[in-house]
Amino acid sequence: PHPSTGGGGIAPLTEQEEEEQPLQAVLVADSFNRRFFPISKDQPRALLPLGNVAMIDYTLEFLTSTGVQETFVFCCWMSNKIKDHLLKSKWCRPTSPNVVHIITSDLYRSLGDVLRDVDAKNLVRNDFILVYGDVVSNIDVSQALQEHRHRRKVDKNISVMTMVFKESSPGHKSRCEEDDVIVAMDSKSKRVLHYQKTQGLKKLQFPMNIFQHGSDEFEIRHDLLDCHISICSPQVAELFTDNFDYQTRNDFVRGILVNEEILGNQIHLYVTQDGYGARVSNLQMYDSVSSDMVRRWVYPLTPEANFTDQQGQGCTHSRHNVYRGAEVSLGHGSQMEENVLIGRDTSIGANCHISNSVIGNNCTIGDNVVLDRAHMWNNVHISSNVEIHQSVVCDGAVVKEAVHLNKQCVLAYNVVIGPNLSLPDGTVVSMHHPEEEEEDDDDEFLSDDQEVGHSKDKTRQKAFNPAEVGPEGKGYIWKASMNDTEDEELAQCLWGLVLNPDPESDSESEASEESQDRSRSVSPEIDDVNAFQLEVLGTLQRGLEENIVCDNLVLEINSLKYAYNITLKEVMQILTRVVLEYPFQQQGTQLTTLQYTGSLLPLLKTWSPVFKNYIKRAQDHLDCLSAVEELFLEQDTHQTAMVKVLMKMYQLEILEEEAILKWFSTGATNDKSRQLRKNQGKQRMSLQRKESEEDESSEEGE
Amino acid sequence: MPGADKEADLTERIEAFLADLKRGGCGTGPIRGSGETARETTALLRKVTAQARWSSAGDLMEIIRKEGRRMTAAQPSETTVGNMVLRVLKIIREEYARSRGSSEETDQQESLHKLQHFVHLKANVIEAINELLTELDGTTDNIAMQALEHIHSNEVIMTVGRSRTVEAFLKDAARKRKFHVIVAECAPFCQGHEMATNLSKASIETTVIADAAIFAVMSRVNKVIIGTQTVLANGGLRAVNGTHTVALAARHHSTPLIVCAPMFKLSPQFPNEEDTFHKFVSPHEVLPFTEGEILSKVNVHCPVFDYVPPELITLFISNIGGNAPSYIYRLMSELYHPEDHDL
Repeated sequence: PHPSTGGGGIAPLTEQEEEEQPLQAVLVADSFNRRFFPISKDQPRALLPLGNVAMIDYTLEFLTSTGVQETFVFCCWMSNKIKDHLLKSKWCRPTSPNVVHIITSDLYRSLGDVLRDVDAKNLVRNDFILVYGDVVSNIDVSQALQEHRHRRKVDKNISVMTMVFKESSPGHKSRCEEDDVIVAMDSKSKRVLHYQKTQGLKKLQFPMNIFQHGSDEFEIRHDLLDCHISICSPQVAELFTDNFDYQTRNDFVRGILVNEEILGNQIHLYVTQDGYGARVSNLQMYDSVSSDMVRRWVYPLTPEANFTDQQGQGCTHSRHNVYRGAEVSLGHGSQMEENVLIGRDTSIGANCHISNSVIGNNCTIGDNVVLDRAHMWNNVHISSNVEIHQSVVCDGAVVKEAVHLNKQCVLAYNVVIGPNLSLPDGTVVSMHHPEEEEEDDDDEFLSDDQEVGHSKDKTRQKAFNPAEVGPEGKGYIWKASMNDTEDEELAQCLWGLVLNPDPESDSESEASEESQDRSRSVSPEIDDVNAFQLEVLGTLQRGLEENIVCDNLVLEINSLKYAYNITLKEVMQILTRVVLEYPFQQQGTQLTTLQYTGSLLPLLKTWSPVFKNYIKRAQDHLDCLSAVEELFLEQDTHQTAMVKVLMKMYQLEILEEEAILKWFSTGATNDKSRQLRKNQGKQRMSLQRKESEEDESSEEGE
Repeated sequence: MPGADKEADLTERIEAFLADLKRGGCGTGPIRGSGETARETTALLRKVTAQARWSSAGDLMEIIRKEGRRMTAAQPSETTVGNMVLRVLKIIREEYARSRGSSEETDQQESLHKLQHFVHLKANVIEAINELLTELDGTTDNIAMQALEHIHSNEVIMTVGRSRTVEAFLKDAARKRKFHVIVAECAPFCQGHEMATNLSKASIETTVIADAAIFAVMSRVNKVIIGTQTVLANGGLRAVNGTHTVALAARHHSTPLIVCAPMFKLSPQFPNEEDTFHKFVSPHEVLPFTEGEILSKVNVHCPVFDYVPPELITLFISNIGGNAPSYIYRLMSELYHPEDHDL
C-alpha cells in the first residue's frame, strides 16, 4: 500500500495494526427529532450551514483526520439532498482517503434502526466510530481508540463501547441542558457505572450496588460534555438487533449498564481536555458552536482553512477574528467589530455595525444595519435600518426596512418580513403553515420534496397576516414570544425547545420520558418484579399442565429474566416464592399444613432441575433459604411445614447441608425470624442429628 | 494502464500531503520540523517532475506552479513549502538554460515552451532536485558545525522556545565547551520545557525561565541564539511568540542576537500586513476550554508568531555560513528567480 504520509492526527501505525482492517465509521446524517423545525422542513439538519460550511462536512473532516478510511453515511429525511451534497464534495473524489458510502432508507426512525441495519448488512468488521452528522469536533480520538482496543484485547470483548467526553465545567455555554449528564465511573478502569441525564432534576439517586464491587476509587462527574462520539465494538450493532426496543444511544447505555451482570458487557469513558467536540443538537447549541468556531476553538477547522476544498470558499482572516470571503464589499463607515464571518459576494452598506455574526454568500445588507449574534445564511436580503440580535435568518429570506428582530427569532427559508415591524423575542416565521404541519404530523419523516412542494401550494391559499409579518411580509408565525423571561430562557439553554411548534406534545413527551427515567433509575425493580413473578407463575402452571421438560422451563424463565431486567438473585427468590406459594394459588389459602405439604412436596420433586439450574454457589443457597424464610414468616400458620420443605429440598439435593446449617446459625434479622428459628430449633436438632447419621430414613423427620 | 495508475497515485500523494498540511500544527506548532516539510515538498515535486505529463520546460513549470499554489494555500504559514517550490522552479530554469547552452537571460521566455532535449532535461532536473535534497539533509549539521566559532567557554546563552536547529547547534558546541543555557519557556505552548529537557540530557547546564523574566535575566547573558520559522526578504524574522521580547531585551543590553536559520527558510515574502502573515490557533492553551462561564464573556486569541525587525538581529547563521541581515536580499536573489516570486 501507499506509504503513510499522514502525520496530522493519525497516530503512527505499528506494523501489526496496519495489518488490521481499515478503521470504519458510521455517520448518522439524521437527527430523528424535530429540534430544528421548521428549518429542517426544507433542509436536513446535516446540511445546515455552520460558518458557511454544511455541518456534515465538519463531521466527515473530523473522521478523516482521525484516520477513518471507510465511512457509512446513513440518511433518511431528505436523503437525496444529502446524497447530492456528498457526491459533489471532496469526500467522493477518487483521491479521498476516506471512502464514503451513502446508505439511504425512509424506514429509519431512530439510531437503533440504523444500527440494526448495520448489523443486517454486515457492514462493520471491526471497531468503528459512531457519530451524528451534526458533530463538530477536532478531538484526536486515536488515543481513545487505542485504549478501547487494548481493553478489548485484555478483557476478551467485554468492553463494547467507549464514549468520548470533553471536560467542561458547568455553566459553559457549549453545554446543552438536554444532554447534561451525570456519570459515575471507576477511576482506574474508566468503566461507566452509572449514566444519567440530569434533565434539570435537583435530586439524583445512585444505586448503591455500583459502589460495592470493583475498585475502591470512584468518580462522579458532572463536568463532562457529551461529544456524541462513540467508539463501538461490532457487538454494538448485534446488541441493537437483539434488543429491538433500543432506540437511542441513551437506551443502549442504560440497557448495557442494567444488564451488566448478566451479559457481562461494559461501557467505558474517554475524557479529553484537549480538542473540541460538540453536537449541534438545538439552536442554542448552533449559536454557541458557531461562535466557538469563529473564535477558533475548533482549529484547524477554521473558516479560512477551506478544508472542504471548494472553489471560491476561501476567505481571509484578520484581526479580531474577522473573516472575509472573496468579493466582499463594505460600505463607508461600516464596522466589523469582532468575530465576524462574511461569505463571498456579499455586499454591506454604509454605517453598519456587525459583531459576533456569520453572514453567508451572496447576501446584500443595506445601510445603518446593526447585526449582533446574527446567523445569516445564503442569499439573504436585509434592507436599511434593520436591527437583528441573536437570530437565525435562513436562505433566501428578505428583511425589509426598519425591521427589528429581537433575540432568538428564526426566519425560515424564503420568508419576507416588514417593513416597519418589530418581532418579539423567540418568534419563528416560516413559509409553512403550522396547521399544515399538524395535519401531516405523523408522516413527517416520510414526506419528501414533492410533498413539500405540494404543501406549499396549499399554503398559498391561506393569507399571510400583515399584523404579524408586516405589510409586505410572507410567512406564518409559528409561535408567539414566550411567557418566560429572557434570562430564565437563556439560563436553561432552551432555545431548541422554543423552536418546537407544538409545545404541549413536546413537554408531554419530555415529561413522560422523565417519568420513565425516574421509574427506571430510582427503582427499576418494583413493576418489573411483580410482572416477572406473574410470568414465572404462568410458565410453571403451563409447564405442569402441558408436561413441559424442565430444561425448557429454565429457558423460558431465562428469557423472562432478560425481558424484565431481573438479576439472578431475584430470579431465584421469586422462583422459590412462586413454587412455595403454588399450592395456595391453586387451592386457596385455607389449606391445612398437611394438605399444603402434601401438594407441595411432589411439585418440588418435579421442579427440582429448575432449582438446581439457578442454585449453584453457596450464596445462592443462602439466598434461596432467606426466600423460604421470608415466605414462611408471612404464612405463619404453616411454619411447621417449613422443616419438611427444607428436608425435601435437601433430599432432592437442591440445598446443601452446610448451607442450611449456616443459615440456621447466622443471626436472625428480626424478632419474628428469631421466633421462627426457635420453633424450628427442635426439629432442626433432629435434622442435624439425622444428617450426621447419613440420612437413614426420611420418615423419621416427620 | 500504468500511466493512469501512476497519475492516480501522484494525485493521491498530493492530496494526502495537502490534507496533512491543512491539519498541520494543532496549536503547538507543526508536528514535523520545517526541515522535514521542506524535504517532503521537494520529494513530492521530484515525483511530479518524474510522473506528470509535460513536453517542455514551460509545461513543467506551469504544473509545478499550479501544485505549488495549492500547497501554499493549504497552509500559508508554512513558508518552506513555497520556498521549495521556488527553488525547484529556479532549478528548471537553470537546467533548461544549461541544456540550451545559452546564457541565462537571452530570450528564454519564448523558448521555454519549445520542445527541446526533453529526455535530458527531465533527467537533469531530477538530478538537480536530488542535489537539493542532499543539501536539505545536511543543513542542520552544516549549521551545527559552526557552533564552536560562536560559543565560547563559560558563556551564558539564552534561547527561546524550541528549535531543532538551535538544539543541534548547542549540543555540537557542548561536545567541546562548557557553557550555560537559559531557556525562556515560551508560553503558552511551553516548548521551552522540551528544549530544556533535551539540552540537559546532553549534559548542558540549563535553566528554564518564565517569559516575563527575559529582560531581568538578559544582563547576565553573553549571547542570544534563536531559531526562526521564516526569514523574510528584508532580513526580519517571523518567529515564535516571545522572540520579539527577547530581541528587544537583547538590543537594550547590547547582547548579540544570532539567528540559526537554514537557507530553505529564506522567503521572498515581506512583512506587510498580509493576512497570511499571522496564524491564530485554538485559544485552548491560553484559557482552557474547561474554564466554563468566563469563556462566553471574553475574547481569547492565541497568535503563534512574532515579527522581529532586521535591525534587532546581529547575525544569521545558515548552512552556507554567517551573514548580516542586510545581506539577505542578496542571498534571496541567488536562490530564487525574480519572476517566480509570485506563484
